[in-house]
Amino acid sequence: MNSTAFVETEGLTRAYSSGQIEVVALKDVDLSVKEGQFLGVTGPSGSGKSTLMNLLGGLDTPTSGRIKVQGKFISELSKQELVLYRRYQVGMIFQSFNIISSYTALENVAFPLLFAGVGKRERRQRAVRMLAKVGLSARKDHRPSELSAGEQQRVAIARALINQPKILLADEPTGNLDSATSRQIIRILSDLNENQGLTVIMISHEESLVRSFAHEIIHLCDGTIIEQKEIR
Amino acid sequence: MRISDYIEQSFSNLRKKKLRTFLTTSGVMIGIGALVSMFSFGKGVQKNITDNFEELDLLNYIAVYPPSEESLLPQSSPKVDDNKQVPALNDDFIKELTQLEGVELAFPEIRFPALVKFKDKQKFCFIQVFSAGVSRSGFLKIRAGKHYTAGDANSLIISDTLLRRMEVKDMQTAIGEEVEVSTLKLDSDIINPANIASVMQGDKLPFSQESYTFTIVGVAERMGFGGTMPLRSDVYIAPVASKKMKKVLLTNIRDFFQSPQQAKGYSAVSVKVSSVGYIDSVKAHIEDKGLKTFALIDQLGKIKTAFIFMDMFLLAVGMIAITVASLGIINTMVISILERYKEIGIMKAVGASDKDVKKIFFFESGLIGFTGGVFGLALGWVVSMLINQVANYFLARQDVPYIDYFSFPWWFCLGAVLFSILISLLAGIYPASRAARVDPVVALRHD
Repeated sequence: MNSTAFVETEGLTRAYSSGQIEVVALKDVDLSVKEGQFLGVTGPSGSGKSTLMNLLGGLDTPTSGRIKVQGKFISELSKQELVLYRRYQVGMIFQSFNIISSYTALENVAFPLLFAGVGKRERRQRAVRMLAKVGLSARKDHRPSELSAGEQQRVAIARALINQPKILLADEPTGNLDSATSRQIIRILSDLNENQGLTVIMISHEESLVRSFAHEIIHLCDGTIIEQKEIR
Repeated sequence: MRISDYIEQSFSNLRKKKLRTFLTTSGVMIGIGALVSMFSFGKGVQKNITDNFEELDLLNYIAVYPPSEESLLPQSSPKVDDNKQVPALNDDFIKELTQLEGVELAFPEIRFPALVKFKDKQKFCFIQVFSAGVSRSGFLKIRAGKHYTAGDANSLIISDTLLRRMEVKDMQTAIGEEVEVSTLKLDSDIINPANIASVMQGDKLPFSQESYTFTIVGVAERMGFGGTMPLRSDVYIAPVASKKMKKVLLTNIRDFFQSPQQAKGYSAVSVKVSSVGYIDSVKAHIEDKGLKTFALIDQLGKIKTAFIFMDMFLLAVGMIAITVASLGIINTMVISILERYKEIGIMKAVGASDKDVKKIFFFESGLIGFTGGVFGLALGWVVSMLINQVANYFLARQDVPYIDYFSFPWWFCLGAVLFSILISLLAGIYPASRAARVDPVVALRHD
C-alpha cells in the first residue's frame, strides 16, 4: 500500500448473498486518494459506486480486501472504533439528502453533535455557524418540507461537516437536483476542497459534472475500475 | 450522548406522535391505576387491622384456657401431662397471675346469653362481665357516653353493632336510655309431675326468664373479631351488676360438658402484659401449670402470611392490566421503529452507536412508563378516594365510623412509579434491541 495515500483500498470486494445466489457488487478495487484530493467516481447504475461509498464511509464492511484511511485500516476496526470513525473522520451526503423531516434545518445540522456529547448551547452555536457557511442562516428554523431541494442538500452538507471531518463522501449529491442547483452544490464541495483542504470523494452519473472540479476520475463498471484518469 | 439529551430526545420523539403516545401512556396509566387501587386497598385493610391491634393493645393479651379447651386452640400449644394437677381458673389463680412480672391486668371471661330489649326492638346477644378497671384499661373503645364505675349495678355499655341492629342511628341518643335485659335462670318449678315427661324428652328445658332494667351509660365499638379475643360480646356490665342477676353462666356449649372440678373455675382468663416482651415468659409460666394459652402475637406470622397472600392476589389481578399495557408499549415502539427506520440509518451514518440508538428507544419506553406511572398513581389515588368516600357515605348511614379503606404509604407511591418505569423498560427491551440492529445501509435506502 502507498504510504502517502490518505484513503487507500486494496483488493476491496463486497459480495451479497441472496439465497443460493451471490452478487458481487465490488470486486478487487484498488484505489488511492491523496489528502486534499477531489476524486470523482462515475459509472452506470449497479456498477458498485454506492457500495464503495458505504465501505469508505464505514457503514458497511468488505467481504475481502482492506481499506486504509489516514494510516488506519478501517476494515479492521471494532464496532465502536467504526462509530468514532463515522462520527469524526468522515462526513456523508446522499442523493436523497437523508435529513430528518420532523427536524428544523438547525436541528438536522446539530444532530451529529448530539452523539458526540456536545452540550446544547454549543450544538446550537456550531450549527448556526455551519448553516451560515452554506448560506442558510435565514432558513435555520425551517423544516425540510419548507426548503427547496438545493437548500435541503446544503443542510445535508452542513450536517456532514459539523464534526469537522477530513473526508467528505458524496453519493450522487446532485441526482435529485436541476442542473443549475447541481452546479451550485458542486461549487460548494469544490470550495471546501480547495479552500479548506477537505478530501472529497464524489459519485456522479455524469462525468461532465465532476470533470471541471475533480482532480481525478475513476470509472466503475460491474464492480471493477475500468478507467482511471487524472484531470488536473 | 448525555442523559439530559436522551430525555429531551425521547420527549421530543414522543411528542411528535401525540395521539399514539397518549393512548399508550393511558394504557400504562390504567394498569398502574388498577394496581395502585388494589394494592392500596390491601394495605388499607392491613393497616386498619394492625392499627386496631395496636390501639387496643391486643398483641399484649394472652388468653388462658383449661386443658379441656384444647380443641379451641391452635396446634402450637404444648401437650399437657395428664397426671399433672392443673389449677382451676379462679380468682386465686387470677391474683397469682397479676403478681407475675410484666402482667398489668388479668380478668376472667364471664359471659352469659341474654335477650336485650331496647324500645320496641329485642335481640339475643352475649353479656360480658368485667370490672370498671378492665373497662377503662384501653381495649374497650367508647364511641359515646362513658365507662361504668365499680359500684354501678344498674349501668351497662352496649356495642354500636347491637344498637345498629336495633336500628338506632345516632349513638348519642341511646345514652341515658333504659334497656331491659332478660336472662335465663334455672327454674326447678318446671320440673314437676305435670312437666316431667316433656323435660325428660328435652321438649321443655328447666329454664325461665328473669328481667332486669339497666341504663345505657356508654356505647362501645365492637371488635370485628370473635374467637380467642378478650372482647367478644355486645353488652358489658360490672361484676356488681352481674352478681344481682340470676343467670346461666356459659361461654359456649362446651361449658355444659366440663368436669365438675373444672366447672368451679372460669372458662377463660385474659391476661394483659405491659409489653410484648413479657408474652413468652408469662405464657411459659402458665403453660408450665398445664393450662393452655393463646396469644395473638403468636399468630402474627400467620396473619402476615395471609396479608402477603392477599397482596399477591391483588397484585396478580393488577398485573393483568400491566401486562396488557406493556404489550401496548411494545406495539407502539415497534411501529415507531418501522416509521423511523430511515432516521435510525441517519443516526448511525452521522456517528450514533448501536448503544445510542438502543438507549434512545429505551428512554422513550421509560418516559412512557414514568408518565404512565405518575398519572396512574394519581388516577389510582383519585379512584380510591372516590370509592372510599362512597363506601363511607353508605356506611355512615348505618352509623359505621369513617374508615380509610385505602392506604398510600410513600414507599408504595414511589414503588408504583418505579415499577411502571421498570415494566416499560422491560417492554422496551425488544424494540430497542431491534432498533439497534438496524443495518444503516439498508435503512438509508429505505423510503
